[in-house]
Order: sequence, then C-alpha cells, then structure tokens
Amino acid sequence: MAILIKSCFVVVLGTLLGLALTFISLERGFGFGAVRAGPWTGWPKTGSADIDPYARALLSRTGAIPLGTGEGISFLARADSDGAPLNPRCEYVIKGPMPPARFWTLSVFTPNGALIENAAKRYGFTSAEILRASDAPAEIILASTAHPGNWLPTSPTSPYVVVLRLYDSVLSATAASLDSSVMPKLVKGFCR
Amino acid sequence: MTSVKMTSANPASFRLNLFKISWLDWLLASLLWLLALLFVAGLVHIVSVFALPELAQKDAYSRLSALTQPGQLSLLPAALPGQEYAPFEDPALVQGVCLYDLDRGPLELSADIIGDGLLTFSFRTRTGRVFYSMTDKAASHGKIDVLILTPKQLEAVEADDDEEELPQELRLTAPEKKGFVLINALAAFPSERANIEALVKSMNCEILSETNK
Repeated sequence: MAILIKSCFVVVLGTLLGLALTFISLERGFGFGAVRAGPWTGWPKTGSADIDPYARALLSRTGAIPLGTGEGISFLARADSDGAPLNPRCEYVIKGPMPPARFWTLSVFTPNGALIENAAKRYGFTSAEILRASDAPAEIILASTAHPGNWLPTSPTSPYVVVLRLYDSVLSATAASLDSSVMPKLVKGFCR
Repeated sequence: MTSVKMTSANPASFRLNLFKISWLDWLLASLLWLLALLFVAGLVHIVSVFALPELAQKDAYSRLSALTQPGQLSLLPAALPGQEYAPFEDPALVQGVCLYDLDRGPLELSADIIGDGLLTFSFRTRTGRVFYSMTDKAASHGKIDVLILTPKQLEAVEADDDEEELPQELRLTAPEKKGFVLINALAAFPSERANIEALVKSMNCEILSETNK
C-alpha cells in the first residue's frame, strides 16, 4: 500500500516537475542554436527544417512566424551594448555598420511582440527610408520624445525590445557565429 | 528474533549496526524513488515539448483558414498596434498567404517579378515549419513558378514530362498534406504600400486538378 502511494506521489510530482521544466524553458526563450553578437541575438535555424523542438514548441505557443533561412534573418535586442536591459525611460542610439543585406528593417515591439502605439504612427524603419549624413553610417534614435533625424518613437511606460531584420542576406546561411563588429551598436543616452 | 541473539554480544554496537543498515536502506530506497521521479519528470518534459506544436489549440494553418481557403491568395492584415496578426510582425511588410491541401491536388504558385523590390517566399507545413524559402532572386525569366506536391503527385507529373525539355517550374515535395506559402513583400517606403499590395494580389495560387491520382 505504501509503495502504491509513493508511486502515485512520484508520478504526480514528476509530471508537475516535467511540465514546470517545459514551462520554464519556453518562458526563457529559444534554448538552442542562438547566435549572439553584442546586444543582438538571432536564431538562424528557426527558419529551416532543422528547427529544434524547443523553438517549435515556443513558436506554436506564441504564434510567431519566423523568417525562412532563404528569406533573411532577424535579430532581437533586449539590452544595450553594455549589457544593461533596455530602459523605457532612456533614449538609445543605434549606430555603426549594418551587416550586408539587400534590405534591412528595424522595429520596436513590446517584449510580447506587439507594436507600440505612437502619435507619429512610426513603428520601424527600412534601410531605404533612413536619412544619412553624407559620409557617416546611419544613426537611429529610440526615444519617447520627438527628435530630428531617424527617430523611432518608444513609450516611456512600455518596456520594449528592438528587432533588426536582414532580408536577402548572406548572414542567414552562415550565421553560425557572428562577430559583434559587423552589427550596429545600441548606445544608451539621456535618461529621464 | 533469532538474529538478535546471534549478534547481540554487545547490544550497543548491534543497535549502531542496525541503525547503519536501516539508514543505508533508507538512502538507497530514496535514491531509487528520486531516480524514478527524475525519470518521470524528464519523460513528461520531453513528451510535452514535442507534443506542444501538435496540441496547440490553433496551429498556423487553422488560424489562416479563418482568413482564406486553399488555392486562394489572400493578404494578411497590415501590422498596426492592436491589430497584429502574429507577434513580431515586420510592420514594413505586405504579406500574402496561400494555403495548400494536397489531398485536393498540387498547388501552383506563379508570380511575375516586376521592379527590384524585395519579395520573399516561404513554404511551410501546417504548424508553420519552413521546408523551403527563397527570395525573388530565384526567379527565372522574370517569373516565379512553383509547384507543391506529394511525392506521389511528383511521380505523376514527372511521368508526363517531355524528355527533351527541362521543367520550367520549381517542384517542391511537401512533408505534410496541409500547409501554406507565405509571401513577404517589402514596402520600402510607406507610400509604396498600395502598389506592393497590388503586386502581391496579382500573384496567382491555384489547385491543379490531378489527371492521374
């Protein structure tokens, strides 16, 4: 009888533990195949047939539709180049080289992937839209108040993440490891 | 108890031994239970990770079925706050979708590539897993022509092939019967959006009737 009770206990507790482990591993985001360069993290394999089971489970839960490897690659930044999490009350500048790609887009989302409402109705930039100084790489300003130049509005109350997408880029096939020098920097500016 | 008499020359040391043995027993037994617990937990974890995409209440295909039907090209709603079709959608994209159900016949996707805007295509299973993806650079003679079929349908098509001429279209065998094609077209400037939408709408998705099933 004692053994029966113990077995039941083990099965119930084991099931709970296993489900908790699944929940935690999905909460923490894609486990395998992540490529990091500076503040940017990409998951090149999620867009191919050899996507890992964790990424599949996560995508089925969130409903996100990642880019196919032949289409391009996307990178997510949750922190600045110093490793500090992005603070919605601070301004950031994205500057430096963009990796080679036919087009890139840069957009801001809540951590759950929703767009952030703003009066300017601007949710992202494409590489074609960017205003550039004649001989300097592009700079994009993330701020909750209006700025001249390439201003991407954020909300002072909503936490956000930055997504950089490289379309038709050689990186998507070769991004097993990445040198952070080819990726733009995310530099913290003024905080209110 | 007979064993007590045999070893009870020194009752104190006997008690100590008994304590040691029962302690070891207890340790081994708990270790066994702990292993069983870990085994069950590991099993549940692995099974649940693999089962999640299959059990997902609404997989990509069934969510898209609410918007369109197989063999018909439809535009996904533009990404605006509160109206996103999926999380982390690129707001600069115009997205078209085309469902296939190979039980009804192979799907043919054809598109004329006009201009030098960015067009990408991904071929996906029911759950959204990509089995093939490409950009407009894969076009030949300014046209994209793709046929999605089951291995059996491919055989039938190949049997009809002219031996002297190479097939003009790209033939893809899908790993599952149901799935979808996602077409991404970049509106490089917001003012281009209407034109890009028209371009995506001009593409053609069609279920081919099977001559020999």
